[in-house]
Amino acid sequence: MDDIEAELGISRSVGNEDFSDSSEDERVARKIRPPILLHSSTAQARAKESGFHESSRLCLKAIRDAMLHHHWQEAAQYLSAYSQTLEDTTVNKQSLACEIIWRLGTEILQHHPNSRLEDFNALYEQMKNSGVKNYAKICLEHSFHLLLNGHIYDAKRQLSVAASWRYGKQSVPQSLDLKLIHAYCGFLDYVIWHMKKSSVSEAEDNSSNREMHSYFRQASVTLQEIIAQPGVWDPFVLSYVDMLEFYNDQEEALKVLQNYAYNKDYPSNPNAHVYLYQFLKRHEAPPAKLISILKVLHHLVPSHELMQEYCYLLVNSVVPGHLEESLPVVFNLLDYPSWKNDLDTWNCLLTVMTVFKRKGLQHLIANEWKQRKDFWLTMHYRAYHGRKDSELNRELLLVKAKVAKLLGEHGIYYNKFSTEVWGPYNVEDKKRKIV
Amino acid sequence: MDEHLTEGYSEPCKQCGAVSWALSDGCQFFCRNCHNVIEKTQDVVDVSSFILNNKISSISSSSRKKTRREGGREWMVCEGFQFILKLQAEALVGLGVCPQFKTDVLWDFWKRYLQITRQAYTRSPVNSFTNTVYLSSESEPESAFLSEASDQTEPMSASGHSTDGRSSVCSGSLDAACYLSAKERKSRQLMNMPRTLALCHLALLWLREAITLADLLRLVSRRLIPYINVYEEFPEEMQFYGRDAIIFRVETIPSYRKVHGEALQMAEILQLPAFPPVTSDCLLHPALLSLRYLMEVNLPDELHSLVCRVIEKSAMGKESFLTFNPSKPKSTFLFYDLQAAALIIVTMKLLFKLDDHVEWTLSRKAVKKDDQGKKKTSKQGSKMFSLKAWYMTVHPALERARQREELFEARRPWKSKKVLIPAMKHKAVVLKRRRVVEQLQSSFHTLTGSVPEQQSSSPSSFQFLWGQEEDSDGPSLHHKRLNCMLEKRGKEKWLVNQAYWHTDLKRCHKKDCRDHYSELKHSLPRMYVWLLGLFSFLLRVSEAQVHKEVVEVERRLLLRKAVPEEDNHKHRKRKGRKTSSSF
Repeated sequence: MDDIEAELGISRSVGNEDFSDSSEDERVARKIRPPILLHSSTAQARAKESGFHESSRLCLKAIRDAMLHHHWQEAAQYLSAYSQTLEDTTVNKQSLACEIIWRLGTEILQHHPNSRLEDFNALYEQMKNSGVKNYAKICLEHSFHLLLNGHIYDAKRQLSVAASWRYGKQSVPQSLDLKLIHAYCGFLDYVIWHMKKSSVSEAEDNSSNREMHSYFRQASVTLQEIIAQPGVWDPFVLSYVDMLEFYNDQEEALKVLQNYAYNKDYPSNPNAHVYLYQFLKRHEAPPAKLISILKVLHHLVPSHELMQEYCYLLVNSVVPGHLEESLPVVFNLLDYPSWKNDLDTWNCLLTVMTVFKRKGLQHLIANEWKQRKDFWLTMHYRAYHGRKDSELNRELLLVKAKVAKLLGEHGIYYNKFSTEVWGPYNVEDKKRKIV
Repeated sequence: MDEHLTEGYSEPCKQCGAVSWALSDGCQFFCRNCHNVIEKTQDVVDVSSFILNNKISSISSSSRKKTRREGGREWMVCEGFQFILKLQAEALVGLGVCPQFKTDVLWDFWKRYLQITRQAYTRSPVNSFTNTVYLSSESEPESAFLSEASDQTEPMSASGHSTDGRSSVCSGSLDAACYLSAKERKSRQLMNMPRTLALCHLALLWLREAITLADLLRLVSRRLIPYINVYEEFPEEMQFYGRDAIIFRVETIPSYRKVHGEALQMAEILQLPAFPPVTSDCLLHPALLSLRYLMEVNLPDELHSLVCRVIEKSAMGKESFLTFNPSKPKSTFLFYDLQAAALIIVTMKLLFKLDDHVEWTLSRKAVKKDDQGKKKTSKQGSKMFSLKAWYMTVHPALERARQREELFEARRPWKSKKVLIPAMKHKAVVLKRRRVVEQLQSSFHTLTGSVPEQQSSSPSSFQFLWGQEEDSDGPSLHHKRLNCMLEKRGKEKWLVNQAYWHTDLKRCHKKDCRDHYSELKHSLPRMYVWLLGLFSFLLRVSEAQVHKEVVEVERRLLLRKAVPEEDNHKHRKRKGRKTSSSF
């Protein structure tokens, strides 16, 4: 459930940026506080506390201690004692109690060895109907839970019930939740469509085909609506594009992806460009187009894994000027610690440098190296790295040493490690072909 | 039938898919096809029907129909309190108090109270309702007296109901509305829930029973005396709803100080004469009470003789001091249990000084002396009392007891089995919440596999158990000797510790000056504060109250110049360097 919560948090928090009205933004930001901080102020005893409130405060403390120590049985017992706070006559405490019991209850049920799906369902149903503030959120969480446990149809049913729910004037957080509910309705339609598609692929059953198509129609209508609004809708975009591809509607898919990536209203999202690139690669677009997309991606995320592909594309491109751009790309990539020990990246660097040497572009190499020399030597070429690489990854050691040689760094200590293993590989190295 | 109430809702039923909803008694929606009950409840309660009923009833003379439902009768709030007192008295008699407590003392106090506040037993009662009560066939003796009282009143006309009809709709009892305004409550000295305990305390004091106020509150906390949710046990005829809840529902067990204050007020209201004297053989006397507390905290029995010396010296054993006399204007209403605890603390201070240094030195000396004196290794270990050993035994037991108490408090169920509906417009919501709570609890119980009952503890006056048994809190130190605390100088024995410290003994002049403990706490020795904490846990009072009582004892002990020193006392104390830690 944790990643669902995170996803919920991300979608919700990014969904905030939808509204161009900044005052609404602030109001929303103020209202949605992280749940952890909601109850920290009640840890101390108040002077004029009634015995009932004192009991509930001590009970909450006992639940928290039990949960932190993973004593789930105890926690469940204390939670059932805590449920009497739902009948508190103080209004704000009562509404807090609903939320507390919902969140703690689901957490305990998740970890308790004896919990079953019926317990979850019962808890969600009860908490949904006590107090209106949390209805939409609980519905969403309930349907996610069902989805994760494979009950797709139940999840869909829950969401469709929730989507038609209204209470009083719709507040801003409520409208966000309802939007999410609507979006996930569409997503679940897609999931069902996908299930039907894989089961129907052999048989030519008309009725199930028609069902599948109807789900497609439902899903596409919903998803189109959702994607049309500015926001971060990665899973929805992917599912919509998947469906469109199945029905061979390439132009629509391309339009959607391009809108998602290039529309200024949408928050800047590197994934959008990745999806567009992957789509175009699937449909064999010309390299120039691919390069242009990856260029934008490079600006956004220089350390992205697609940068290697970008680099190779640039090297192999016929357009003049692209070749020179490839070197900074790969150097930038290796500036990031996540690629430090990646053999492919170093090989890429080696390849590019050899190409440059062949074409007589050493001055560019020298330029790049001048900028980076000081921190690269400490980041990649210390004695510690040498020892580690010689123990764990000899090939990497060799490649790095060759790069160092090409850069003109002969005197570094690192090379000593490589000379130990240099001998037997020396001959092979000279015969190595350069791609 | 219910279409007008359910017409707004047109969701298909989850089980059968039909759309035909009806409303059940508990205001829940259910499907007429498959009887599937859902959680949706009636949103809006039509209040206008109630108002309509009121108007109709004021025209007709027989307006008691609406209050008399299914054989219920009219009742006054003081009847309810009487019932509660009866239950409490029966519980106390069951715990060992003599039966006269219920039949004579408490009953007399209650009758006196009703008479003085003119709620009954008087020619001109304050309540303006008709008091013609319909007695049910099983007329209990408690309700008989109300009919006596009503015979003496003038019968009021039925028109009196029309103005008060409103109040009786909102509450089961007739005069609950009077209890809701604070001004009226104070002017007519009306009863409230803590006052029931205060009355019990006064009656116990009258009989000089061993149950002190601290014990009484502990028994209430352990549910051995009915106090929380006692209205569940009202008889069926006493219809209980609406504003009655506000009077009879408790969400706090009153503190020691509150009940004591209420008892003082009640003693004034009742205009009681002097209480029976507290002699040295009755269990409230500090000599005997302190013996009980010494056993409770695992201190050696030899300490008791020292405590008695201190009582003598401070003249706290005199009857005139100990007996409560409400008729005298300046008589003080004592805290007997706090006093006994304070005496013990003062004695410990005399013996050990408790300044975080001397007591540990003395314990080390005790252990050394014991090692020298021993010729053969005895199984019991040392014979000398060492404060360090005592602390190492009692402190873990105290922490465990505190933890247990906290968890007990956390689990305490406050809400009663009978649902309380404070106002009709909330009925649906309240019922729904109760349903949700019950379902939650049952589902969690099936999850944990057991129903953890509140352990009904056997009533015992001791909270710790010292000895060799399996479930004892630690080894018993009652038999230890205090010889190392006394040394022989010539013919007499003197205390080894010759110094004493105390905080400022001057009385505050300002009336509303509460206590200075919170300012002093950080400067007091930790051992002393720990000792205060021990007794405050035992008696369920705050440390500040215990400290205040200690200061009282010290005042009597140290500032009284008029007490003549007796000649052949064995333990003479000398006022050494007084380190006054006041500001």
